[in-house]
Amino acid sequence: MTPGRPPAQRVPTLAVVVVLAFAILAAGSSYWQVIRADELASSPTDAAVLAAARTVARGAILDRDGRKLATSRRTEDGTLYRVYADPAVSHPVGYASGAYGSAGLEQAFTAELTGSGGGDPLARLFAKFLPPADRRSDLQTALSLPLQRLAVQLLGDDRGAVVMLDPRSGEVLVMASTPIFDASGIANPATATATFDALRTDRASPLLDRATLGSYVPGSVFKIVTAIAGLGSGSISPETVFPEQPKGEKAGLLVSGYRVRDGHHPFTGTTALDLVGATEVSCNIWYALAGLRTGGANLDAFARRLGFGSGLPFDLPTAASQLTNGGGPLPGGFLDDVELANAAYGQGEVLATPLQMALVAAAVANGGELMEPRLVTALVDRQGRRTSVGPRSMGRIIDGSANAVLVEAMTRAVEGTYGRLFTAGARIPGILTAGKSGTAEIGGSGEPHSWFIGFAPADAPTVAIAVVVEKGGRGGERAAPLAGRMLKAYFEAQP
Amino acid sequence: MTGLAADVRAPALPGFPRPRARRRELALLASVVLALGVGSLSLGLTRTGRLEPADLPALALFAGGLFAAHAVLVLAGRRVDEVLLPAAALLGGIGLLVMERLPQDLVVQEVGPWTLGLGALQLVWLGVALAVATGIAVALRSDRWLRLYKYTWAASGLALLALTFVFGTEVNGSRLTLQVGPVSGQPSELLKVILVVFFAAYLAENRILLADARVRLLGPITVPPLPYLAPIGAMLALALGIVVVQRDLGAALLFYAVFLGLLFLATGRRTDVVVGLLLFAAGFALLALVFPHVQQRIAVWLDPWADPLGDGYQLIQALHAFARGGLVGTGLGAGLPEIGGRLPVPAVHTDFPLAAIGEELGMTGVAAVLAVYLVIVGRGLRIAAAARDDFRALLAAGLALVVGVQAAIIAGGNLKLIPLTGITLPFISYGGSSLLANAIVIGMLLALSDRGAAPLAPPRPPRLARLRRASGGGS
Repeated sequence: MTPGRPPAQRVPTLAVVVVLAFAILAAGSSYWQVIRADELASSPTDAAVLAAARTVARGAILDRDGRKLATSRRTEDGTLYRVYADPAVSHPVGYASGAYGSAGLEQAFTAELTGSGGGDPLARLFAKFLPPADRRSDLQTALSLPLQRLAVQLLGDDRGAVVMLDPRSGEVLVMASTPIFDASGIANPATATATFDALRTDRASPLLDRATLGSYVPGSVFKIVTAIAGLGSGSISPETVFPEQPKGEKAGLLVSGYRVRDGHHPFTGTTALDLVGATEVSCNIWYALAGLRTGGANLDAFARRLGFGSGLPFDLPTAASQLTNGGGPLPGGFLDDVELANAAYGQGEVLATPLQMALVAAAVANGGELMEPRLVTALVDRQGRRTSVGPRSMGRIIDGSANAVLVEAMTRAVEGTYGRLFTAGARIPGILTAGKSGTAEIGGSGEPHSWFIGFAPADAPTVAIAVVVEKGGRGGERAAPLAGRMLKAYFEAQP
Repeated sequence: MTGLAADVRAPALPGFPRPRARRRELALLASVVLALGVGSLSLGLTRTGRLEPADLPALALFAGGLFAAHAVLVLAGRRVDEVLLPAAALLGGIGLLVMERLPQDLVVQEVGPWTLGLGALQLVWLGVALAVATGIAVALRSDRWLRLYKYTWAASGLALLALTFVFGTEVNGSRLTLQVGPVSGQPSELLKVILVVFFAAYLAENRILLADARVRLLGPITVPPLPYLAPIGAMLALALGIVVVQRDLGAALLFYAVFLGLLFLATGRRTDVVVGLLLFAAGFALLALVFPHVQQRIAVWLDPWADPLGDGYQLIQALHAFARGGLVGTGLGAGLPEIGGRLPVPAVHTDFPLAAIGEELGMTGVAAVLAVYLVIVGRGLRIAAAARDDFRALLAAGLALVVGVQAAIIAGGNLKLIPLTGITLPFISYGGSSLLANAIVIGMLLALSDRGAAPLAPPRPPRLARLRRASGGGS
């Protein structure tokens, strides 16, 4: 503030500012070149990875028993192309095509399959001073080709998805989506254009992986999320009953002037149901009241812990499952109590992917702790050395004693006297099964989406499942029997 | 303007100058040539698999030019800075290596009977730039004509810009290039030098008035009286207006930042700088409201991945290039994969050379390049601090800032720290206008650093005081 001083005396201040600016630039350089380097340089969109993908024969993709799901071949003129074992695995495995890019694991693991990325910065640094090595890897996946085939066969001509995973490790055994497509047709240069053009214009969108990217109204299977939030937050207990619930069964329950209707379990009469009873008969009114008591904030918080609200930590891109369209004034983004009450039993604006609902079942099956889902379990390099991937936990969702109530409720929903009336199809001989069916009303006059989520054996679960069949009717009619067939096949294959 | 004529004339030289050895410059130049030689060997090894330099003639010509410039400075006998030339030469040499390493058909020009590619053209321009810098360093002995004709300079600079606007040819959607016969150039590069001369001259003359004679504008905010503010304000507004209309946002940012820096030096009023920054923010917001292309730049900066194959493509590819480089880079010639014969970053030679350096020389290389810019800025600021009058101090600081700020703007843009603007990386980017303008900057800084006749050695302090200082004194 002393203008009398000559400018030359203020030069040091300016120098400090310039040095600070350059320090920020150096920090920016280290951010991209060290901190984010690994992620960017091994991303499938990286130019070096793309360049390698055109010239290097990719490693194989294997199922859990070592069956080759994807292998590389050469045409007579030397062009590399990929061949896939079965169209049933097209969605998770994806394709790699010279003309049409890549998808699925072929895309997500381009760097590992072509050996063009990966390794920690220090290893990469030392590798620069050594002769170039073949760093391609085979992908060991958790997929089971026979079960995947069965899922596609059971879905048949319907559109839908089946996700089956090991709740203890997050290993995904089945990730089926119908209609399927012919990945080999896209990868083969001779048939690529015709195949891809036909698929792109197909109105059934066979290229869409419904298991990870399909957003469906979940209906009653979402009640498990509401129960987790209610018990987890302490808002409800296993003994909670609502006196107004039996009266509401006939005329509907009035919430802010809107009538929540139920009415498919007349046999419970005037009994005020508790959590297990309400889950067994899939009582909408009990769950609407439980949701209102739990509140939007708790429902939102627990749904987020389960993976709602953003993409899942997974090998493939996933659509974010949602509780609301957002922007509402109530906690959790709900517009009003009516939306919250409807969301509590899986209607309203709730949308979920089949993988997300499989995770809900898996969390309950694993004693309340959710494991990250994963397709790839190990990378196998040229010398046969395996690098295992995972398992990783997504955190404990709910404590063990509260979770036990959920296990009992879901077991009764399949095996109980009343539960059998709805979901008998999911039962398998000799093994106690737990689950929840769902009948998702999607508006208009169409058939509802048919849902089932569950796990078995109920006392020591080794497998969790989610099934959705688009416009498949009631959950107990289509999805539950399909899940039963899948579970039966799974246990028959176990030694 | 009293007393001006007395102290601006350089001291009359008695006869032909006596050559002065410049040992420091020679040693630094030798190490620069050594470093470039190693770089060239590395590039050659990557390309051919044999230990031979890539394009030895180009390297030899460049080294020859450097030593020739050194010889001229020695013969001229002026006591000018010995670090600036080697520092700029290192950057220029790295730029030359990068240009030789890129596909040569990125730029092709017919010069007489020869058809020159990217590397050869850059070498030609580097030669011209060396000649210009050395010529100015030797020949510019008086700053009188710079400070006396400041309005003439300013007017001619603006005229040049206006000419470009009317007669210029459009390249990449911006009309920045003026073509005269076979030679084309971007006048906004030259304008930055002219503006610094004008700002320095005006602020040196009026700085006391600008700082002290304040008129209350609004509450605590005061401004200099309008008659003193108007000329520099109008000049700034005109320059900014023209480059903004030409969509040369980088140049606008550069002019404004240098102006603020000089204003601070001249008046020492930090509040003025704060007000200037606020005005900048307001102006930027206004631009973003009015021009869709500014909005697009901001959107790409905030999230290039929103449109990875369209608007965000180049920036994403540049960030990937940085990431591929990692700590020590892939090595010269081993990076920048081409997909289907195309480079992932099309403007790598003009707007993204730092990404190429980041990939092939790694974070180490980027840090080194940034450090060399700091050396240049530091030498310039030293010259400013030691200048014998306000005009020379402001001019030297302004020239140093021009280099530093321009490098920071484009490096920040490449690294997604600020929105990307299409200006060149000084001394490294391909392009004659850029190299020439920065050569003028170096030449003028060299000339300003001339300390004239050797001053008397300061009297040595008594032995006891020397000892005390050497042992960290005072405590």
